[in-house]
Amino acid sequence: MNPYYHEASRITSYLLSMNAQQKEQEVYASAMEKLSISFSAYEQALWKSMMSSTFKMACIDAGLALTDSTNNVRRKLFTMLAILEASPNYTACFLSKEYSKWYFLKLIFVGMRSICRAMIGLLIIKIIKQRCS
Amino acid sequence: MQLNYDYIVVGSGATGAIAANALAESGVNVAVLDVGMEDEKYHSLIPNKDFISIRKEDKNQEKYFLGNDFEGIAWDTNRVGSQLTPPRNFLIQLADKFAPFQSDTFKPMESMAKGGLGGGWGLGCYVFSKPELDAVGLNYHEMQEAYQAVVDHIGVSGAQDDASPYCLANLKNVHPASSIENNLGGILTAYNKNKQALNKKNVFVGRTGLAVITKDKESRKALQYKDMDFWSDKDMSAYRSWMTIEQLQSKNNFSYHKNCLVLKFKETESGVQVFVKRTDTAEEQIFTCKKLILSPGVLGTARIVIRSFDYKKEQLPIICNPYCYIPCIQWRMLGKQIEQQKGSFSQLMLFSDEQKNNFDVSMASLYSYRSLLLFKLIKETPLNYADARIIMQYLQSSFTIAGIHHPERPSSTKFIRLKKDDLQFTGDVLTGEYILSAAEEDLNLKREQKIKWALKKLGCQPLKTIYTPHGGSIHYAGTLPFGNNNEKFTISNNGKLGGTKNVFVADGSGFNYLPAKGLTLTLMANAYNVAKKALKNE
Repeated sequence: MNPYYHEASRITSYLLSMNAQQKEQEVYASAMEKLSISFSAYEQALWKSMMSSTFKMACIDAGLALTDSTNNVRRKLFTMLAILEASPNYTACFLSKEYSKWYFLKLIFVGMRSICRAMIGLLIIKIIKQRCS
Repeated sequence: MQLNYDYIVVGSGATGAIAANALAESGVNVAVLDVGMEDEKYHSLIPNKDFISIRKEDKNQEKYFLGNDFEGIAWDTNRVGSQLTPPRNFLIQLADKFAPFQSDTFKPMESMAKGGLGGGWGLGCYVFSKPELDAVGLNYHEMQEAYQAVVDHIGVSGAQDDASPYCLANLKNVHPASSIENNLGGILTAYNKNKQALNKKNVFVGRTGLAVITKDKESRKALQYKDMDFWSDKDMSAYRSWMTIEQLQSKNNFSYHKNCLVLKFKETESGVQVFVKRTDTAEEQIFTCKKLILSPGVLGTARIVIRSFDYKKEQLPIICNPYCYIPCIQWRMLGKQIEQQKGSFSQLMLFSDEQKNNFDVSMASLYSYRSLLLFKLIKETPLNYADARIIMQYLQSSFTIAGIHHPERPSSTKFIRLKKDDLQFTGDVLTGEYILSAAEEDLNLKREQKIKWALKKLGCQPLKTIYTPHGGSIHYAGTLPFGNNNEKFTISNNGKLGGTKNVFVADGSGFNYLPAKGLTLTLMANAYNVAKKALKNE
């Protein structure tokens, strides 16, 4: 199997808690071939850790969003995010809709979760950085 | 191939198209010389449907939303022109090769496309006031007739309201304003409630005059509210300069020469020689004409004039509106669904007229956000993408973007230079510097604070101010300032280039001042006047 298909599945699972369909896996593989995103040893280590679980992927992404938002590992996630948005299979995850007035409670939860993820992520990033130096 | 014409127009953008049209209508023999890039990749892929239907149905949408080479997934944050979606990317294609520009402080955008940068025009139409036209160096009375002629040709919609003195003034034959979308309609309601307090501080809000038709006009359809305006021109509701060029191509007295990059001109006893380097074969050709109209855009004109005068002037002044934008949250729209049928353009304007004299006005164009896709907004948050997606999906209906332009004047720290460089296709490269003085920056900051105050009054909470590099407004002028001494590197008030007999300039090169209001309508009106004067041999 094309190794990029596995990456596409793992990232989709992290971003939308859904399975990637074959079309999006193929588009992601094509994007990776065309964009040729190369990793340093440190980025490679980050990526390996992210691919080992979606929890780590979320935490490292959150940590990097605060400290190193243009890191190449985030570029891969961002590319998949764009591919998912430009697919009719996932449209509902990106278009606006009418929300109940209590929905903001969920947003507070998401915000808190994001902070927790960032704290754990910063710790993981620190450990990986130390190992690579 | 015919190489001899009565009139040659250089460039097919907003000014070139209008000048060529005015000349061709009079019956003279006209040719437009242009590089003429066109979109050959995406046009046929985009369905003629609304944004939501496409998003839900089209299985191949990633091809044009993201681009064949994924150029729509911009990771580089330095690029200006967020509306340059993959289908619009041809507008700047090959500009680096045929119009090289190097600078650390100035990042202008140029186009080699058929229709020029007009293909990405935001379509806002503004009649300059008398004090503004005086400062620019244009005749107020002559411009009134020209504005009307251009409006009749391109088709403009708008309303009579508090923004009218700054937008459409007393223009006639204006189509009714488009239906306002919920996001901006909420702001207009808030303005009407807080009008007294805002007007007291000389802040005025109203509908934008737009070069978009709301009634059918010949083969062009009235606005269909598909929200695909940044991606395609299928219904031709929005005016684009290529439409005029294509209309002219059916006339016997008009010729369009593609792949022609004009390098310089030389006046002879019988007229003007125009030296062209073909962009397809790199061969050189010489066209001849009785009169030459330069309108490749301010930077293109500067290149041609400097070469034609043997590089005798080291540097030319330039002005460009300082620009920034402020994303805001409009509280009343939180958690609402965006309507399916809407347009993409700015429908509302905010003017801060400090002296209440319609001069040195600052302007904010207000936009909602949808069709440029959510992932670009998600990237700007300091959150992980998964959580940011959930939050931004909720917030997107409440996003209002205020794009702020400031008026601008020339100074010694704003200039361009053409340097010889044999490695370049043209044999030279334009360089430049653009630095605002501390006083100018301070003044603009105060203007932005005033606009932020007004936005809050309108129920919009500003989030942050994002500054684009100088050049980001894509409004350039002032390289060959208006003057009446027939000196080289100036333009006389009839549009004639100083030091020449038969060369006219129809773009904004002569403008001595740039109001904050978008200048495209004024550029087109000036091009109309210059063409008329060239015909009268004034």
